Amino acid sequence: MIAGAWLCLLAPLAGALAITLAGTRISRSAAAWISTGSVFVGFAGAVVAFVQVAGESAADRSHLSTAYTWFGAGTFNVAMQILVDPVSLTMMLIITGVGGLIVWYSMGYMKGEDEERRYFAYMAFFVFSMLMLVMGGNLLLLLVGWGLVGLASYLLIGFYHDRPEAVAAAKKAFLMNAIGDAAMALGFFLLIAKTGSLDFSTTFAAASNGELSSSTANLVALGLLGGAIAKSAQLPLHTWLPDAMEGPTPVSALIHAATMVTAGVYLIVRTHAIFEAAPNVQHLSAIIGGVTIIVAGVIALVQWDIKRVIAYSTMSQIGYMFLAAGIGAYGYAMFHLLTHAFFKALLFLAAGVIIHHLAGEQDMRQMGGLRKVMPFTHAAFLVGALALVGIPPLSGFWSKDGIISSALAEGGVLGYTLFVLGLLGALLTGAYTFRLYYLVFHGSPSALVLEHAGGHGAGHSHGPEDAQGHDAHGHSEGPLSMLIPVGVLTVLAAIGGLVVIPGLWEPFLTWIDGVAEPLVVQTAAQDYVTSAVAVALAAFGIWLARRAFLAGRELVGDGGARTALEHKLYFDELYDALFSRPAQVIANRLRDDVESPVVQGSLGEIGAGVRGVASGTARLQSGLLRSYALVIAGSVTILVVVFLAVR
Amino acid sequence: MRDPPVGQTGEPSRDEALVLGPGTNWTIAVAAILFGIGTTGVILRRSPLIVLLSLEIMLNASNLALVGFSRHFASVDGQVFAISVMAVAAAEVVVGLGLIVAFTRRKMPLDVDTLTELRG
Repeated sequence: MIAGAWLCLLAPLAGALAITLAGTRISRSAAAWISTGSVFVGFAGAVVAFVQVAGESAADRSHLSTAYTWFGAGTFNVAMQILVDPVSLTMMLIITGVGGLIVWYSMGYMKGEDEERRYFAYMAFFVFSMLMLVMGGNLLLLLVGWGLVGLASYLLIGFYHDRPEAVAAAKKAFLMNAIGDAAMALGFFLLIAKTGSLDFSTTFAAASNGELSSSTANLVALGLLGGAIAKSAQLPLHTWLPDAMEGPTPVSALIHAATMVTAGVYLIVRTHAIFEAAPNVQHLSAIIGGVTIIVAGVIALVQWDIKRVIAYSTMSQIGYMFLAAGIGAYGYAMFHLLTHAFFKALLFLAAGVIIHHLAGEQDMRQMGGLRKVMPFTHAAFLVGALALVGIPPLSGFWSKDGIISSALAEGGVLGYTLFVLGLLGALLTGAYTFRLYYLVFHGSPSALVLEHAGGHGAGHSHGPEDAQGHDAHGHSEGPLSMLIPVGVLTVLAAIGGLVVIPGLWEPFLTWIDGVAEPLVVQTAAQDYVTSAVAVALAAFGIWLARRAFLAGRELVGDGGARTALEHKLYFDELYDALFSRPAQVIANRLRDDVESPVVQGSLGEIGAGVRGVASGTARLQSGLLRSYALVIAGSVTILVVVFLAVR
Repeated sequence: MRDPPVGQTGEPSRDEALVLGPGTNWTIAVAAILFGIGTTGVILRRSPLIVLLSLEIMLNASNLALVGFSRHFASVDGQVFAISVMAVAAAEVVVGLGLIVAFTRRKMPLDVDTLTELRG
């Protein structure tokens, strides 16, 4: 069991190292196979561990395996250890399973790219980092994984390093994440100061026994929440995620939809004991999630880039998970994380098939009528979209409605507000998802679509992702290595939600409850009422999108509201004015008033002084041997005389 | 050799009594005079060859002083040291004469006042 878990952790690392060390000695496809294979080996390890843990009784499903003591200072020790329990196993299966499919998909998508080997090494490295994050047996290892996934994300967003937008997006993501990392690290320092440990057991016991003062608990929880919202792109640290779509599409699917951005949810569930000791902070995370659902949803209504729409949808869905984790419905948070990984990866990969087919075009205004040209992709995308919107019996229905009804069960001002936000989110989800769906798949084929509808000839170079020859593959929609993962994910997105049927069959919730006991449990009646309302609202959203599309209108008409939404509610402008510009002004003033006159000036003066002294001294060095001898002899004589006289 | 020759030196010191030949004062005086001659030669003469010779005189003056003190304290340390100085002096002469031969071969003037390449 533990061997399987360690295999799961180390196989992707071995893959990344092998590709890196082999360099150009192996072919590009060999690198792709090593990467895919290593992730699937990790998946096999995770499945072995899962089967064995699932066979144990609920009480002892948590296994801590320590390899060695990493370092120690006084009484503070950190061990290299992994924790295998239902929550980390769920994450391991998602990361290696969905991750393996996406790496496999990359094989077709990235074929012919300039730096394919680098890409596959990064992908395997990312999977390892993410596993480190979820399997780390103490908070420090969690932070190590947290930082490593940030690095992997940075490297992959900036993969097209010759494009300035990609480099800028990578830097933005890294900076935003660094804010969160710093907040988290501060929280950990406080924990070390108060409990002397970063072990899960010690710190959680201290939190739940009330050994932490309420201000300490609040500060630590705030630090953790800061890390979580930065990594999960929640308000107000969300602006990096849409820009991160500059990376290759499989990267968007794996890192910026299925796994990494959900790490914040994992963190809250994992450290729920600390959050429960700080209920206000926990409620804050629910409120942030609720607001993000709406803000991201409305911005998604006006975006034209197919990947950006899905990116905003991701933010919105993670908002649901934060909402659930914030009111203590940990099982549903993890459940939505699971189903979201399926259907969002599916949506991104299907979008990738379209982008690949259209030689890198991402603007939805250039698409249209793809339903007939790409029937398989259309079917897959439709399943993903319906799952996202929450139409029964697809996966999103079970998880999202569970979250909304948990909010209803929570009750009170907070609960009812979140309930309404969740329902509104369902409406918005229906609207923006099907706006995208109709724009891309319905209507008459655009010029671009017609151009690519036949055989894939040469001369279709539009974007960075089309360096490969499209005619290399037989299937009209894309190579099989892309279509098979899409097919598998379609099945998963369709049936993946059947692990929880309220009131009848809830193995997933009991599985998670063993680690994180929920604070709020809804009745089946609440669940079914919520579902009815939510599905009706989602269907209404779909109907709105359809009506607008048939009338040839946009969902949000021209005007102030649309302008504001197109500017993404001015978050970027606000941060620019608040932080970037003042920093530039201060930096310029410091350069003009301090750097140039004081620092640079004083250095110049010191240099000139030394040079003056040196040239004076150099004149003494005449090169005349006899004068040196005279000076030495004279000096010795004087010294002798002085010594004799003094004595 | 260690037999105590009585009354050879004027001073009734404990070790002085063991020494044959002229007293330490004389040895040191001769060494000082030789050192002065050597120093004068180094400072006044312009031929590198003579400068080297003068340096040898200075070294030998210091050797003489070392041996004199060695006798004075009835210890062999100074004599051992003097032998080391001789070895170093021999090595130094090899280098110095080599330089002078090189100067001559290159038809450079044998005058230390014109050899001022190392001027600052």
